[in-house]
Amino acid sequence: MAIEIPKNLDGLPTSQRRFVGRRVRRREDPALLTGRTEFLDDIKLPRMLHCAVLRSPFPRARIESLDVTAAEALPGVEAVVTGEDARRWSHPAASSPDGWGGHCLAGDEVRLVGEPVAAVAAQSRAAAEDALEAIEIEYEPLDPIVDPFEAMKPESPLVDEAKGTNKMLDRVFTWGDVDAAFDAAPHVFRESFRWNRVGANPTETFGAICEWDPMSLELTVRGSIQSASHFGLGRAAVFGLPSNKVNVIATPHGGSFGGRGGTRCTDVACLLSRKAEGRPVKWIEDRMEYLTAGGSQAWDRHYEVELAVDADAKVTGLRVKLVDDLGANGEPYGAICAAKPLAAFTGPYAIPVAAYDLKLVATNKLPSSPYRGMGPPPHFFVLEQMMDIAARSLAIDPAEFRRKNFIPKDAFPYTIPSGNEYDSGDYEQVLDRALELADYAGLRRQQAEARAAGRLFGVGVASAIEPGVFDWNAYAIVGLPGTGVPEGATVNIDILGMISVRVGFAMEGQGQYTLVSQLAADYFGCELEAVRVVPMDTQSAPPSFGPGGSRLGVAITGAVLGACEKIRGKMTRVVAGLMQTEPENIVFRDGKFGIPGVEGASMSVAEVAGTMLARSDLLPPDIDPRPEATHVWTAAGRTEPDAQGRAKSYLTAAQSVHVVAVEIDPETGQTEILRYAVVDDCGTRLNPVVVQGQLEGSVAQGIGAALYEEYVYDDDAQPLTTTYMDYLIPTVNEIPELLRDEVVTPSPFTPLGAKGCGEGAIHTTPAAVLCAINDALAPLGARAREVPATPNRVWNWIQEAGDGNQTPQGEGSNG
Amino acid sequence: MKPAPFEYEAPSSVEEALRLLADPAIETSLLAGGQSLVPALNMRLARPERLVDLGRIEGLDAIRDENGALCIGAMATKRSIERSALVAQKQPLLHEATGHIAHPQIRNRGTLGGSMAHADPAAEYPAVAVALDAEFRVIGPSGERRIAAADFFVTYLTTALAEDEILLEVTFPERPAGEGVGFAEICRRHGDFAMAGAAATARLEAGRYQDARIVLFGVDATPVRALSQEERLRGEVPSEALHAEVAAAIGAGLEEPPGDQHASPEFRRQLARTVSKRALEAAVARAAKA
Ligand SMILES: Cc1cc2nc3c(=O)[nH]c(=O)nc-3n(C[C@H](O)[C@H](O)[C@H](O)COP(=O)(O)OP(=O)(O)OC[C@H]3O[C@@H](n4cnc5c(N)ncnc54)[C@H](O)[C@@H]3O)c2cc1C
Repeated sequence: MAIEIPKNLDGLPTSQRRFVGRRVRRREDPALLTGRTEFLDDIKLPRMLHCAVLRSPFPRARIESLDVTAAEALPGVEAVVTGEDARRWSHPAASSPDGWGGHCLAGDEVRLVGEPVAAVAAQSRAAAEDALEAIEIEYEPLDPIVDPFEAMKPESPLVDEAKGTNKMLDRVFTWGDVDAAFDAAPHVFRESFRWNRVGANPTETFGAICEWDPMSLELTVRGSIQSASHFGLGRAAVFGLPSNKVNVIATPHGGSFGGRGGTRCTDVACLLSRKAEGRPVKWIEDRMEYLTAGGSQAWDRHYEVELAVDADAKVTGLRVKLVDDLGANGEPYGAICAAKPLAAFTGPYAIPVAAYDLKLVATNKLPSSPYRGMGPPPHFFVLEQMMDIAARSLAIDPAEFRRKNFIPKDAFPYTIPSGNEYDSGDYEQVLDRALELADYAGLRRQQAEARAAGRLFGVGVASAIEPGVFDWNAYAIVGLPGTGVPEGATVNIDILGMISVRVGFAMEGQGQYTLVSQLAADYFGCELEAVRVVPMDTQSAPPSFGPGGSRLGVAITGAVLGACEKIRGKMTRVVAGLMQTEPENIVFRDGKFGIPGVEGASMSVAEVAGTMLARSDLLPPDIDPRPEATHVWTAAGRTEPDAQGRAKSYLTAAQSVHVVAVEIDPETGQTEILRYAVVDDCGTRLNPVVVQGQLEGSVAQGIGAALYEEYVYDDDAQPLTTTYMDYLIPTVNEIPELLRDEVVTPSPFTPLGAKGCGEGAIHTTPAAVLCAINDALAPLGARAREVPATPNRVWNWIQEAGDGNQTPQGEGSNG
Repeated sequence: MKPAPFEYEAPSSVEEALRLLADPAIETSLLAGGQSLVPALNMRLARPERLVDLGRIEGLDAIRDENGALCIGAMATKRSIERSALVAQKQPLLHEATGHIAHPQIRNRGTLGGSMAHADPAAEYPAVAVALDAEFRVIGPSGERRIAAADFFVTYLTTALAEDEILLEVTFPERPAGEGVGFAEICRRHGDFAMAGAAATARLEAGRYQDARIVLFGVDATPVRALSQEERLRGEVPSEALHAEVAAAIGAGLEEPPGDQHASPEFRRQLARTVSKRALEAAVARAAKA
C-alpha cells in the first residue's frame, strides 16, 4: 500500500492540532531537572570493574620499554592491557580519509599527548588510577610535527611513517569556469583568515560499560553514544565480530554537539573485559581526558579566500583554499567537517562559480572531531568577512550588498555550484525583518555619534545557510560511501489503545522524544501522555542513525508519520470489514474511523485495536492482527556524487540573518555585545519552544567561538587548555539576550515542511560578531582576521594598525 | 581524576591541628574550603599523606570589630564576607573585591585564609591585604606571631607561613575618615582569575592628594605596590592627565609581567595601566572632597 506522509501541518488527520507546531513543553525535562534521568555513570552492573587509562605525556615519542607486572600485582587490579593486547585482539579503527586509523593502544610510537598506551581494570577507579602509577614506561621523545605548513614540506618528518606523507588529502575542486570569472572581474578581493581549534563541550563526558561474553563471543556496549548503530558496526569491525554479535545500548546523554567520540577508550574497555574473563568494565572519561584526548576539538583552519565582483556589485566567483590541521589520525571523522561546506559553499548568495582547494594535514595534535555545524561555521566566517571587505571597498552598505547578491525567492529549488540543491527560502524577507528588529537605521545613527566621540562601535550583518538532514553523499570527497540515511520508528498500539513508539536513539536533550509524542498524539487524537517513547538497543531497533547533521527532527517525523499511516491503512481495512463497506469509504480523523454522513458509524482507535487483538472472529481474512507498523524514512531524490563531489546531499537549507552591535574598548581589547538580533527561517517549526532552545544555545556556542573558546598548543605540541580555567566557555554573564523573530517558508521536500535546525545559529554567529568587530575597527584601519577575537588579539590588531604594520586591505589589482 | 590515597583528620581545636601538623613522620596539608587544594589533589599535583581539615574548629570563621579594626577568621568564607554588613561598612575595598572572586558556588566554600595562604598571584585578597596594611595572626609550635601583609607574600604560591604554622586571622586596621577606595580588574569572563587588577585608596585635602595607594595583582609573582607613583601623587591635584601619566609609569615600571595564552607580557603591561587608572579614578571619585 502506498503511504502518503503529510507535507504540511494541515495534512495531519485532525481538525484541532493540539501539539505539532505548538509550544509544547519537553517531556524529557521533569526527569532531567529532578536528577532522575539515569546516565551512564549511574549504572552499576554486578561484578563491574572500573578502568583508568595511562596516556602519553609526549606528542611524539618512541616507547622504549613498557612493564606492567608491578601494576598487575597490586590489590584490586583485575586486568592490565597494552598495545600488544590491542594488536592480538583487535584491528585498527576505520577512519576518514580511509587508512588513517590505528589500534586503540599505542604500539612502538605515540603520536599525540593523551594517546592511550596502557589501561587497568580494577575494583574502583581510584585503585585503577593508583595502579597506573606502578606501570613502568620509558619514552624516547621525538621532535613533534606541529605546524601544518611545515608538515606538508617533503623534508618534514611523518606523523605516520607507513603513509609516506602528512597530507591526508590534497585536492582542488572546480565548479564552473572559475578562472574566467576572476579574469573578467573588475574587482577581486583577497584575504587570509585563521580559525583556531574549538569544539564540543557536553556537560557529560563520554563513557562506556563494555562486556565481552567469552561463551557466546558477543560484545555488549552501554554508553552515551550518539549514533549507536554506527558505533556498533565500528566495534564489530575492530574486534572482527559478526555485526549481529555486537549490541549497543545507548544511554541518555548529557549533551553531545558532536563530541561523543570515545571509540579508542571504549575499545580499551572491551579489551579489558575480555582479559578479565567477561566482567563488565566501566570507563568514564574525566574532564581533563576529554579536553586533551577526547572528542573535544574541531576545525583548526588556515584560509585563503578570493572573491570576484562585477561592476554591478554582483559576486561572480569564489575561491577558497583551506589547510585543515586534522591532528594525528582520521578516526573521529573530523574530515567530514571539511567536506560539508560543499552542501552550502556559496552560502545564501547566487554566486555562479566556485573552487575549493582542500588540504587535510596530519600533525601530532588531537585528532579533529565533529562539532555542531560540522564545518560550515568557519567557512561562513570567511565568506561573510569577504562580503564585508567587498562592500566596504565598494562603499555599499553591507546589508544592501547582501540583498543584491541573495538567491531570489522565485529561484527555488536552487542548485549551487558545489552541487547541492536548496529547497526554499525568502532571504530578503528574513533580512528585512532582521534589520527592522535590530533597528538597523538607529544602530547606524548611534554608530555615527559614537565614532564622532572616538569610540569603537560596530554593526555586523551576516547571513548563512544551515544545511539540514545530512546525507552520506555530502562526505564522499573524504571517503564516506553511500547515499541516503535511514531512520526508522515502530508505532505500536496495545489492546487498550495505548501507544508506544520504538526508536533507535537515546535521549540527547533536544526534545526528540517530545516531538515523537506530539506527532503520534495529534495523529491518533490522544493525549501526549498516552504516548510512550521507547529507545531500543541496536539489535532490536529499526534502522536508525539517530541525531546528527540537523536531521533527526525531519527524519523521525517522516518515520513516525509513515508508521502511523501504515497503521491507519490496516485499521481502515478492519473497520471497512466491520462496517460492511469498502476501505475507500472510511475516513480517519480526530482519532475516529467513520463513514462520512453515516450517523453512528464511528470507531475509536482503541476500539479498533481491541477488535484486532481480541475479536479474530470479526476480522477480514488474511489480515495481520497486530496494530503495529514500522516505517523507515530516507530522504528522496539524493544523488550519487560526480567526480567533483557534486551531489544533491543535504535535503533542506534553513537560512538566517543576524544583526549584532558591539563596542570595543581600545585599552583592553574587550568586545561588548550591545544588541543581538536573529531572524531565521527553518520552515515549519514542529515545536517552536525546542527551536528556540536550539537557537539560543547555538548563539552561545557561536559567541564562544567568536570571542572566547580556543584549544591552544605550545610550540612543542603540548596542549595548554586542559581545564575549564583555560578553555573558556561563555556563561550566562557573557551571552546577551536575543531579539528573535522568524520567517516560515515550508520545505516542499520534507514531512510537514520542516527544515533541519538543530545546529542552528552557530553557522551565523561567529561571522556576525566578527563582521561587527571589523566594522568597529574600520576607522583605525585595524582588521580582525582570526577567531577567537580575544582581548589580547584585538589589542594587538589595534596596535599594529597604529604602527602601520598591517598588510594593506584586500583588493588586488586584476591581471 | 582521583586523588592519591591520604588520611583525613578533622580536629576540633587549633592545638590538636597544630599537633597533627607538627608530626614530621607524615606529610600533612591543611584543608580549608578546598577550592584550590582539592583540584590539585585530584590531578595528583599535590599528594600529601594526610589532610587536616580546619572546618570543625569553632570560632575560626568569626568576623568581628576590635577597637575599630576588622578581624576576620581564616575560615570565614568569601560568601560570609561578601554578605557582612560590618565588612561593607568598615572595609569597603575588601567588600568590593570579594564580589570579583570566582562564582557564588566557590565563594560559598572558599575561605579568606585559604586565599591568603594559597597566594595565587592573580588573586584579589592578597592585593587587598597589601593595600589595606592588613596583619596576619599565625600560630605555630612556639606560639603566635603577627606578620605584616607587606612581608606575607613571598613569591608565586609562597607565603611567610612556615610548614607547621596555621593562619588564624587577618586584621584590617580602621580606615581613615574621608578615604575613597577603588577596585578594577580585567578578566576574560566574569568570575575568572584576572589578567590584571588593581586596588587603590585615596584621600584628598584641599583638592589635592593627601595620600594614595595602588596595589596591582596578576602582573607579577606577588601583589605589586606602586610605591614611587604613590609618592608622586602626594600633593597633586587629581586630573585625567595626571592619572594617565601615573598609570603609564606603573605599566612601564613592571619588571616582567607574566605571559600566558590569555595575555602576553606586553598586553599585561597595558592592562596594568588601565586598571591602575580605573582603580585610582574610582578611589578619587569616592574620596571626601574636603
Ligand atoms: C573555578 C574557580 C575560580 C576561581 N577564581 C578565583 C578568583 O577569581 N580569584 C581568587 O582569588 N580565587 C579564585 N579561586 C580560588 C578560590 O578563591 C579558593 O577558594 C582559594 O584560592 C583557596 O581557598 P580555600 O578556602 O578553598 O583553600 P584550600 O583550597 O582548602 O587551601 C588552599 C591552600 O591554603 C592552605 N591553607 C588553607 N587554610 C589555611 C590556614 N588557615 N593556614 C595555613 N594554610 C592554609 C591549604 O593548605 C592549601 O595549601 C577560584 C577557584 C575556582 C575553583
